[in-house]
Amino acid sequence: MKRRGFLSGVVVLPVAGRVGKAFAQTEPKRGRVKLELPVLADNGNSVPMKVRVESPMSEADHVKSIRLLSERNPEREMAVFHLGPRAGAAEISTRVRLAGSQVVTAIAEMSDGSQWMDSAHVQVTLSACVDGS
Amino acid sequence: MTTRREFLKISAAVGGGLTVGFHVPFAAAQQQVLTPEINAWVLVRPDDRVIIRYARSEMGQGSMTSAAQLVAEELGCDWKKVQVEYADTNAQVRRKRVWGDMASVGSRTIRFSQEYLRKGGAQAREMLVAAAAQGWRVKPSQCRVANGVISGPGGRKTTFGKVATAAAKMTPPQEVALKDPKDWTIAGKPIPRIEIPDIVTARIRYGIDAHLPGMAYAAIAQCPVFGGKVKSVDAAAIQGRRGILKVLPLGDYVAVVADNWWRAKEALKALPIDWDFGPNASVSSETIKQLLRAGLDADSDVVVAKNAGDVAQALKGAPVIEAEYYTPYLAHVTMEPMGCAALVKEGRVDIWTSTQNAEASHAAAAATAGVPLENVYVHRTQLGGGFGRRGGAQDFVRQGVQIAKAMEGTPVKMLWTREEDMQHDFYRPVSMVRFRAALGADGNPVALYSRVSAPSIIATLLKLPLKDGIDPQAVAAIADQPYQIANVRMEYAQRNPPVPVGFWRTVGHSQNPFMRESFIDELAHAAGKDAYAYRRALLPESSRERRILDATAKAAGWGSPLPKGVHRGIAVTEGYGSYTSAVCELSVSDKQEVSIRRLVLGVDPGHAVNPDNILAQMQGSAVFMLTAMFWGEITIKDGRVEQSNFNDHRVMRLAEMPKVELVLAPTGGFWGGIGEPGQASIAPAVCNALFAATGKRIRALPLRNEGFELA
Amino acid sequence: MVARIRVPQDAKRGDVIRIAVLVQHPMETGYRLDADGKKVPKNVIRSLVCRYNGVEVFRAQLSPGIAANPFLEFPTIAAESGELEFTWVDDAGVRGSAKQAIAVA
Repeated sequence: MKRRGFLSGVVVLPVAGRVGKAFAQTEPKRGRVKLELPVLADNGNSVPMKVRVESPMSEADHVKSIRLLSERNPEREMAVFHLGPRAGAAEISTRVRLAGSQVVTAIAEMSDGSQWMDSAHVQVTLSACVDGS
Repeated sequence: MTTRREFLKISAAVGGGLTVGFHVPFAAAQQQVLTPEINAWVLVRPDDRVIIRYARSEMGQGSMTSAAQLVAEELGCDWKKVQVEYADTNAQVRRKRVWGDMASVGSRTIRFSQEYLRKGGAQAREMLVAAAAQGWRVKPSQCRVANGVISGPGGRKTTFGKVATAAAKMTPPQEVALKDPKDWTIAGKPIPRIEIPDIVTARIRYGIDAHLPGMAYAAIAQCPVFGGKVKSVDAAAIQGRRGILKVLPLGDYVAVVADNWWRAKEALKALPIDWDFGPNASVSSETIKQLLRAGLDADSDVVVAKNAGDVAQALKGAPVIEAEYYTPYLAHVTMEPMGCAALVKEGRVDIWTSTQNAEASHAAAAATAGVPLENVYVHRTQLGGGFGRRGGAQDFVRQGVQIAKAMEGTPVKMLWTREEDMQHDFYRPVSMVRFRAALGADGNPVALYSRVSAPSIIATLLKLPLKDGIDPQAVAAIADQPYQIANVRMEYAQRNPPVPVGFWRTVGHSQNPFMRESFIDELAHAAGKDAYAYRRALLPESSRERRILDATAKAAGWGSPLPKGVHRGIAVTEGYGSYTSAVCELSVSDKQEVSIRRLVLGVDPGHAVNPDNILAQMQGSAVFMLTAMFWGEITIKDGRVEQSNFNDHRVMRLAEMPKVELVLAPTGGFWGGIGEPGQASIAPAVCNALFAATGKRIRALPLRNEGFELA
Repeated sequence: MVARIRVPQDAKRGDVIRIAVLVQHPMETGYRLDADGKKVPKNVIRSLVCRYNGVEVFRAQLSPGIAANPFLEFPTIAAESGELEFTWVDDAGVRGSAKQAIAVA
């Protein structure tokens, strides 16, 4: 089940403040990362998520970490996953909790310091009553 | 498996001729072959009929027609050839939410979607023109559109239907110009709602009308005490009753499935259910009031919503005017009780239901059945009333799908009784508010303190975090009150009794303006000033509140002599982006019977897309709010709701309805809602008039409890 | 705290395999209300580590943005037979751990 980023083709950083330092040197480029989230979620309590990064995962070229960022949760940094050459691949599945409809962003930091990202919008239908009002 | 065509045939046979293509979305698949989609919002048939897609819901608030007017206006089609079709939620999922939000909540269908709807219409028009121009080898700028006819240079003419197929292949323009509302010819007009002929001829279908071959019926009983669960049922006790198919204990409710609903309901009544009532069996209206009052007095678990100047200082040494206000729980009481028909078969889920948010129903059905979103189909209909009950809470969908899952392969229509509906609502929250104010030498308030002690819908129903602990709904119209007062402090004590709460039409603005505008009236009275002039002086000169207050007072003839025994009350407030004001004229007999002589309701919604619908919404708001004011309350005893049906829950009758005079004063430049704001100013205007007539200040509703009845 | 670990039974040396862990933990957000309407304090697993025969192969920093009973699935190279050990700690300082043997052909 694939979900393209809601703002495909445009690099937008939906979060600021505390996690701003993640972007200190370079702005993450869109690509190499594929973030999969369902387009609708009933209540946001447990939303299945998968993130994959294209990478040889070799000593010389691998994904060091994948950072998950929320647009609207009280804590913007949802998770950071640390991998390395022992991983063999860069793919994490988990279940996230979303405080309302929002864009979720995944940023992969590579061993060469470059950063790549993807984002996806999830409509949490329970919170539609207050979204945007 | 019932095909879409079978359902269409059966419904037509039952209904004696259903209007094709409108509220029967199954026809969509057939139509697509013949009807090119110009864009997601507009399809054009070869015979020039235009199908406009509507993403949200229609529950009598008229948005479906108004939304279509906006699209048709930019499209330039012939309104007589317009049909409306619901946007399908399964297509919504597959097309990455191309139709955007599908919720009809918060009076925002028009104000939140007007821009993209109008752009959708304009875009489709440009593609149709581009197709005609390409065929004629002329420039699009040389062509004109009127009533679905495209005219080119040299007297050439064609119609939308003839170029639709070519238009569907055109590249959509990135930028489109929108018409100025002053040039509107379709929008802005009092066009009758599209579905009125179907309503009047009984062709309209509501969720409750779903009918499929081989359908079974389910009646349900939830625990009478809030928060209770099923311990066990004695299914043997109803063994052998005719038509019973299944008895399903399902956690916090029991369902009985039968071959007709009467049999299911009667069997359920006879079924012994052993309930675990849980921790709330001794909750009552009295214990709830105690909890709220403790919130008014508490030093902890209170947050500050607004703090300007120094209220504590300003209240010292001045005579303080203090008052406490109270409003009760209210039930939605939609004419159509909750229900959902569902079919779960081979990994696919179909539901038929009245919902204010088809996407929410879709997601709830998928989650309950444990199937991917792509396997769910929501067949939606007109709603027999929504008022906020059918948006956030999708409990009826979850139940319908759960039961259908247990009856895999058999369609099941689950319906609630009126009693179940009234006793298992998500109620308008109870609320207690304390005000304190001090007046300056000129009689104007120099300090205003208020604290709201009330549940939070956002925290308890939506389970979302509250920014700074404030629920904007609970403090609406009080935290953001418009009067220019130097020292203001507003506090919120979130207190959550175990009674489930939800969004009732106009939400926080259904009660807080009553409290605020009544208290402002108390201040005006203490200052010895006219209620209208007092408010006027405190509102900023350029404010829209002041403008609508002026317009309404003028229309009502405020200040002109009244017949003996007739008195006036006034109120003004903002809500849902619109500005409303109300003047009520009434008289009260020796027996405290109230005769409402005039109800003048003013509204400034920015732009008026359908003036006739606005009048209807204001009239409907009057019915809803007068009913609530005079008799509305949900009381709790032993953890249960005491009210059950219309014998103990009074509603206004046709003959009792006073005439509503509308002052429609759109000032332009913004888009305000209309489904809910109409209610906001009514209660305080009536209660302020009651004070003028009797000297009795109403600080608690309903009026029946204060000794007043409708004449 | 109970945890379930899923490890493939038929791993061959050098394969990239997927490991899944499910930890029983409420992951309290800090804005949930209890039966009395009062806020339940925030308490989530903040850090979770997987060691493969003592070598760290996966680490996750979590937050209330991860759903209750956190589920994580990640890849690792089936290097050798031995043991996978998960350890974690939450906001209250409570530590947990779980082990699972892994057989690599």
